[in-house]
Amino acid sequence: MGEWTWRAFKIVQSLVERLPRPWAYALAVLAAKFAWWFSPLARPRLEYNLKVACPELEKDPPALRKLSWLNFRNHAKAYADLMQLPSAHVESMRPLLKIKGLEHLDEARAFGKGVLVVSCHMGSYEVVSAIWSATLAPVSFFAEELEPRALYEWYRDTRARLGISVLTLDHGGIRRVLEALHEQEMVITAIDRDITGTGYLMPFFGKLAPIPLGPAAIALRLGTPLFPVCVYRLPDDTYMAEGAPLVYAKSTGNARADQVSATEQLLRNIERFIQQHPEQWHVPHRIWAGSP
Amino acid sequence: MRVGLVSPYDFASPGGVNDHVRHLAVRLQKLGHETRIFAPSSRAEVDFNSARFYRIGRPIAIPVNDSVARITLSFHLANQVAAIIADERFDVLHFHEPLMPALPMTMLRMSTTANVGTFHAFAHSNVGYYYGRPLLQPYLGHLHRAIAVSEPARTFVNRYFPDFPMRVIPNGVDLNVYRPGLPPIRHLRDDNFNILFVGRLEKRKGLGDLLRAYHSIIERVPRSRLIIVGDGPLRGRVEAYVARHRLPNVVMAGYVPETVKPRYYDSADIFCAPATGAESFGIVLLEALASGLPVVATEVPGYMSVLEPGRDSITVQPKNWRELAASLVILARDHDLRTRLADYAQEKARRYSWDLIAGEVVEVYKEARKALAAQPARALEVSGVHHAV
Repeated sequence: MGEWTWRAFKIVQSLVERLPRPWAYALAVLAAKFAWWFSPLARPRLEYNLKVACPELEKDPPALRKLSWLNFRNHAKAYADLMQLPSAHVESMRPLLKIKGLEHLDEARAFGKGVLVVSCHMGSYEVVSAIWSATLAPVSFFAEELEPRALYEWYRDTRARLGISVLTLDHGGIRRVLEALHEQEMVITAIDRDITGTGYLMPFFGKLAPIPLGPAAIALRLGTPLFPVCVYRLPDDTYMAEGAPLVYAKSTGNARADQVSATEQLLRNIERFIQQHPEQWHVPHRIWAGSP
Repeated sequence: MRVGLVSPYDFASPGGVNDHVRHLAVRLQKLGHETRIFAPSSRAEVDFNSARFYRIGRPIAIPVNDSVARITLSFHLANQVAAIIADERFDVLHFHEPLMPALPMTMLRMSTTANVGTFHAFAHSNVGYYYGRPLLQPYLGHLHRAIAVSEPARTFVNRYFPDFPMRVIPNGVDLNVYRPGLPPIRHLRDDNFNILFVGRLEKRKGLGDLLRAYHSIIERVPRSRLIIVGDGPLRGRVEAYVARHRLPNVVMAGYVPETVKPRYYDSADIFCAPATGAESFGIVLLEALASGLPVVATEVPGYMSVLEPGRDSITVQPKNWRELAASLVILARDHDLRTRLADYAQEKARRYSWDLIAGEVVEVYKEARKALAAQPARALEVSGVHHAV
C-alpha cells in the first residue's frame, strides 16, 4: 500500500470515525460486499482455509459462499470498530463486552508472572484490550509491522491511546515482551499464521502448517501461563471474549519438544474456537501448502 | 457530611474543573463523607460511579475565553434539582464556577444549606462579569465561603467583585496515580527523546508555538519525538501542519482516558506547557511534576502560581516559540539538569496531594456550616424556582 492508498484510508477513516456506529457498520458492510465480489485472491484463500477448518464445507458450496460472505462482513465491521477507535471511550465500550472464562484470567494473573494471551485472527481485539488495559493490567500487542509505515504508526498510536502498547515481531520487540511480562502485564499475540516465516511445521486442523513457537518459548523461559482466548461478535454487535483453561509450558530438558507440546495444546483450543465461529476467523492468507 | 458537588461543564468531556470535581469527590468519600456529583453530560456513561452521579441537563458548546465551554442552558432544570435537593438533604453544596449558567446558578438559588463556591477561571477580562455584576452579586451573597484555585483566579474575580473574600486552595494531584515507575507505553519508551504535551487542542494552549519550536529543534535534538495528548477543535489544523512540514516522529494520541494518561507521562522525558494566556492554574503541570518530569512552560499567571523556574522548570515568555525551542534544546542536552529539576518536581508535588487539599476543603465546609448556623438561609419556595435562571 503506497502513499496514496494510505491517504485514501485516512480519508475513509476520518469519515467513519465521525459516523454513528450503526452507520459505520452499514458503510463497512457495503465495502465488504465490494471486496467479497472483486477480491482476486483474498476470497479464494479464505475459502480454502475455511474448507480446511470445516471439512464439511467441501461438499456444500452454497454454505461455503455464505460463510465466506459472513466472514468478510464481520471483518469489515471489525475494521469499522478500528476506524472509530480514535474517538472511542472505554466507558462506552465497557457495556458492549461480555466475558466467558474470566476465572482463567484471574488464575493467570494470580500466578504473578504476567499473562501471555494467545489467540487467532478473529474479532475486535482492540475493544477487549482497551477494557482490560483500563481495568486489569497494561496490555501489549505482539504483532507484525504493517506497510506503509504511516498506516502502522496510525494503528500503533490509535491503540496506544487506549493503553495498548504495540511491540514488533523482532528482537527489540521480544525484549520488550519479556520486560512487560516481568512487570506482570498482559501480552496478546496470535499463532494461527506464521508471519515471520520461522514457524515450525505441525498439524493445524490435521494438515501440516508452519506455526510460531515464540509464545511457548517465552512461556518456558519465564514460567508465564499461556491463556487461549478468542474474541467474537455477537448477533447484536456486542462482543464476547471467551477464554479457555490455561496452558502451562513444562520444561523436560528438550526445549524444542516442550515448545511444540505447549503449542499443540494451544492449537487445539484455537481450532475449537475457529470451528465454533468460522464466520469470524478472517485469514485470507496462505497457511497451508496448496492454498491459492 | 453529605456533600453535593456541582459542575457546570459536560462531565463526559475532559477538562480541569471536572477532573477537580471527580478527584475531590473520591477523596472526600475516602475521608468518610458522602458525596454526590451534579453535572450536565453529553453521554449517559461517565467515568464515575453512576450511583453517585446526577446527570442534569444536556450540554451545548459555547465559545468563551478562547475555549469552548460545554454547559447546559436548559430552563427546565429546576423541578428535577428541587426534588433531588429535598431528597438528599446535603450538609454542604459545593459549586464549581458558581456564576456559570445554568446548573450552578439554579442550584445556588434553591439551596438552603451551607454553600461553598470554587472559582477556577482566569482571563484578562470578562464581559459577562462586567455587565452582569448587578445580576450576579446576589448569587455571591448565597455563598457562605468561597475558594479560588490560585492567586490569579482570585484576582480575576476580585477585579469585578472587589470585596468578595476568598481563600486560595490549589488544585490537587493524586500521587498514587501520577508517579514515576508506572508501566510506560512500551513502544514509546525506546531510544527517542520524548517531549509531551497534554491539553485540549485549542488556541490558548499554545500548541502552535510548540509545533514551530519542535520543527526548529529536530536537527539539534536528533531522535526527538513530540507526543500530543488531547483532542479539540484544532486537531485538523495540527495534523495539517504536521503533514505540510513533514514533521517526523509526531504522535497524535488524541483524547486519552484518565486510566491511561499517567502512563504517557511516564513515557516522556520532558513535559511542555506552552499556553498563551488564560490559564488559572494548570493541573497538567501538577501531573507532570508528580510524574517526575522536568517542565518547560510559558510565564502565564496561572502557571507561575505553580512553578518555580530554575527549580522544577524552565519558563519562557508566552507566544515566543524561539525561546521555547531554545529551552527544549537546553533541557534535552543536559541530563543532569533534567534529573535535578525532576527530583525537585517530585518532592514539590507532595504539597499538592489530594489528601492535603481535600483536608483544607473540608475545613472550609466546616466554616461554611458555622456561617449558615449563625445566619440560617432563607428557604425558597419550589414554585418560585421555575424562574430561578
